[in-house]
Amino acid sequence: MKKASIVYVIPILLVTGILLASNLKAPTAYIPVSSNEAVKKGASDENYNKMMDVLVSPRCINCHPNDNIPKQGDDGHPHYFGMSRGENNLGYQATKCTTCHQSENNDYSGVPGAPEWSLAPASMMWEGLSRKEIAESMLDPERNGGRNHEELMHHLTEHELVLWAWEPGVRADGTPRKLPPVPLDEYISAVKQWFEDGAVIPAE
Amino acid sequence: MSNKEKKSKGISRRKFLVRGGLGTLGVLAVGTYVFRNPLRRSMLEMAETMAPTYMGSGTEPNLWFELTKENKVIFHSPKVEMGQGSFTSFAQMIADEMDLNIDQITVIGAATKTGVVDAMSTGGSLSVGGLWQPLRELSATMREMLKIEAAKKLGIDVSSLSTKEGIISGGGKTMTYAEVANDITEWDIPDTPELKPMKDYKFIGKPVKRIDLNAKVFGDPIFGLDAEMPDMLLAAIIRPSVVGAKFKSADTTKAEKMPGVVKVVLMDDWVGVIAKSYAQALAAKYKINVDWTIEKRYTEEDLRNMLQVGKGNQSITQKAGTALNSNDNDVISMEFTSPIGAHAQIEPNGAVADYNNGDITIILSTQVPGATQKVVAEAFDVDTEKVNIIPTYLGGGFGRRLNTNHAVQAVQLSKEVGKPVKYIFTRKEEFQHDLFRPPTHHIMKGKLNNDGYLEALEHHYASGDVAVNALIMPRILTSVLGTDLGAMRGGQIMYDKVPNHRAVQWHTTLPFATSWWRSLGLLANTFAIESFVDEMAIRAEKNPVDFRLASISNEGNKKRLYDVIKLAAEKGKYNDKPVNGRAMGFAASTDANSPAAHVVEVSIEDNSIKVHKVTCAFDCGVVVNPDQVKAQCEGSIIMGMSGAMFEKMTLEDGELTPTIYGPYDMALMKHAPKQIDIHFIQGADIPLPVGEPPMGPIGAAVSNAVRRLTGKRLTDLPLKLS
Amino acid sequence: MKIAFTINGSSQTVDIEDGNTPLLWVIRDILDLKGTKFGCGKAACGACTIMVEGEEVRSCSYAVKFAEGKKITTIEGLGTPENPHPVQQAWIEEVVPQCGYCQPGFMMATAALLEKVPNPTDDDIDQNIINVCRCATYYRMRKAIHRAAEIKNNSNS
Repeated sequence: MKKASIVYVIPILLVTGILLASNLKAPTAYIPVSSNEAVKKGASDENYNKMMDVLVSPRCINCHPNDNIPKQGDDGHPHYFGMSRGENNLGYQATKCTTCHQSENNDYSGVPGAPEWSLAPASMMWEGLSRKEIAESMLDPERNGGRNHEELMHHLTEHELVLWAWEPGVRADGTPRKLPPVPLDEYISAVKQWFEDGAVIPAE
Repeated sequence: MSNKEKKSKGISRRKFLVRGGLGTLGVLAVGTYVFRNPLRRSMLEMAETMAPTYMGSGTEPNLWFELTKENKVIFHSPKVEMGQGSFTSFAQMIADEMDLNIDQITVIGAATKTGVVDAMSTGGSLSVGGLWQPLRELSATMREMLKIEAAKKLGIDVSSLSTKEGIISGGGKTMTYAEVANDITEWDIPDTPELKPMKDYKFIGKPVKRIDLNAKVFGDPIFGLDAEMPDMLLAAIIRPSVVGAKFKSADTTKAEKMPGVVKVVLMDDWVGVIAKSYAQALAAKYKINVDWTIEKRYTEEDLRNMLQVGKGNQSITQKAGTALNSNDNDVISMEFTSPIGAHAQIEPNGAVADYNNGDITIILSTQVPGATQKVVAEAFDVDTEKVNIIPTYLGGGFGRRLNTNHAVQAVQLSKEVGKPVKYIFTRKEEFQHDLFRPPTHHIMKGKLNNDGYLEALEHHYASGDVAVNALIMPRILTSVLGTDLGAMRGGQIMYDKVPNHRAVQWHTTLPFATSWWRSLGLLANTFAIESFVDEMAIRAEKNPVDFRLASISNEGNKKRLYDVIKLAAEKGKYNDKPVNGRAMGFAASTDANSPAAHVVEVSIEDNSIKVHKVTCAFDCGVVVNPDQVKAQCEGSIIMGMSGAMFEKMTLEDGELTPTIYGPYDMALMKHAPKQIDIHFIQGADIPLPVGEPPMGPIGAAVSNAVRRLTGKRLTDLPLKLS
Repeated sequence: MKIAFTINGSSQTVDIEDGNTPLLWVIRDILDLKGTKFGCGKAACGACTIMVEGEEVRSCSYAVKFAEGKKITTIEGLGTPENPHPVQQAWIEEVVPQCGYCQPGFMMATAALLEKVPNPTDDDIDQNIINVCRCATYYRMRKAIHRAAEIKNNSNS
């Protein structure tokens, strides 16, 4: 059943990809990521790859650090001034994430903001992991905060803090922060489809 | 001092003025303090001994003191307060010679229109030392003047009057100073009275609390950016991000439609946005696209190619014995570098300016009210007297505000809209249009004699401008001397007993402005020299303290350096072997005739250098306020650590970067040593410079400790382990 | 838009076109409380630190619209020369300020810290007090923070 569907999906993906590309007049902020290999592997893999392209981007990984230190920027440098996870992922006792980060981006300061701005819990350390390891970690209730697939899908596609990645505001110097490599709608449908297809993590 | 000389320095009777003033009873204005050829004397001394001089100009009605109805004295200081604590020291001097309590004295920065402004600047750590003699003499003279009038009013002979806490008493009668001054328009001015002996001072030499402490703890509006004028607008300016870029054109249509925008001003090399609020000016600023003509985008590599020993203008600033022969196999040579440093003072630059038919008023944080007045007068083609510069407390100076020519832009903006305008730098503008500490390159050479002591020591160093091209330096001086006197600070070899020693400067003007940064060349020059001396001691297998002492005369002025080195080593219990993962580093410097020596204790934590303790011995002559001199030592040490261990600007694709705190790495609370011990030696009978000299040894001391701990010699600032 | 809040105990309503205007500029230029300082405008230096509902906030990065209905404290509301806050008292005892420009921000951050941690350790101080002081008064600040905790705890007991 699975194999049969691939035949139909591939041409459609290819065509929409071309259409999308030709419609864009200005250079896009998104880097095309669909590799031929992924396409060959099938729709589920394609969805998986789209999702993972986003999850490993700095907009996501910066708040899933492996050392309790939030990261910043497209180079993922350690947060300046020694900010750290603190006891509840919200910073230190008085100087917290919310000392500077509010529920919206601030275009005057270039400080990003969204509701519930915080680090992902320590169990969700993704930084430095392979895509497969991140996906495994994400699906593992021991590490994902006890979320089932439905709840995961909600976090990935509806949580405002996650969706902030597509409206990341400007940097301190006023230039726009880099977006994740996949457009939001494409990402959402890829995530949903991947879960509907059984959330299969392909072998690397 | 002979009597004749004393008189020539006394108060000129002709220049003594009495003025009425708003809210003041009798306004006492005392004429200028006369020096013969102050400029020449000052320059020579600055280059040589750094004896503090005061260079007040005497062409204006010079307001020094006001006496208020409340029997308080307002001192119009020719020097500004930027944190160094000099206002407090001035109050101590006035209180002691005028017989007042500290809380009866207010000190404010003199405005150019009404007061005496130091023709040079507030800088070079010369404020307290410079006013030490004149301010005490003036205060003593004022006290005697008041006594003379009191004698007349009370009908008592002046010799039987005494003064205490602003009250004159005699024959069972008392009068306050204010009561005495009431109605007096003609004053008799006595010859300058004898000053009190040091032992009789109640305030000088004591840890008097800063007089601005309350204002600074309760958030009073005392800084340049706190100033306001009625009906004032706010402005932001766009300047190029690329070094050397020139304005070509700008599209301002979007900005002009932004809320609150009053006017967009296009000038030759900048674009200004004037709005009702600063936030509106900033929001509009980001909507303007400016096209700049960029001829070249300089890189860090370009910079290092330009700035090298052997390139630029050479001057031998010190020469004793013979030069080292580079073919000599016993000659040891090492290279050192330091990066571009930013001032990064927390109060951004800016100015509140009002242009009113050629009458110009500017309120701002500046170290150079006089020079700013001249620059503005020239720019708007008005008489200097038409420009009133009112200096405020400075939210940090550090040399950055030895050029505040941005006052011109503020005045221009005011002229454009016919209203007062406050112009504030953005932080990016601060970082990219700073007058940076120049980068440096050093080659040290040395040779040991048969006993393992220094036989030869040479410091060859390249630097960008410090004093050269600076606003406050007469150009003639540079062309006559051929040397950058600022880059030279700390660059001379202080080890006089080394038979062959020399210092050679290579000066290059860089494509971006470099200038004064607290202690000038001192931090980098001392880093190179004292790191190398430490390395030579290691090669000679000698204790680095003994190694240094063997090369310094224990007599004359050199004895002061000798003594601080000995005292620092003793108090800091210097040990050249690491103990329990901690090592000590030693270094010394003589800057501005105030020798300092540091012992630091260092460990390595998480691959970072951790400084635990600093012991400092310091000889700045007479200590007017021990608490504040200590504060300056502590600040110099930690700011010096910041400069030596963290800070670095780089040229990337034509832009100076970074442009914000954080990426511009600086010492924070967690980096500050938990223990700093300061020990004074008084080796001179006048107050000598304090604000910069203790910064000298810190970079080398930390580096020397790291060398002893890890075996690795770090030769580049900022000091990084890998 | 109209925004109402309480600042240093007094109710205020400001009418402002752009609700995203940083609270810093409203405090400084509309309410004329100049103790809160502009240092970088990027929430990096901490000179503009205030308290909102007792929480430490950098006001240059805090849109005024978020202040609606909130209780704000600035350095002017922390204490007075007659009745200084323990932090201000300690700052005076240790003679901390040099140029003084960054000090209100540091004192506000310290006051906020003492609300959360009555007896901060050196590590607590290092982690929470991350403002920038160019005069590098950190050495005295650390002493003053410990002293402030002592004064505050003594007055509470």
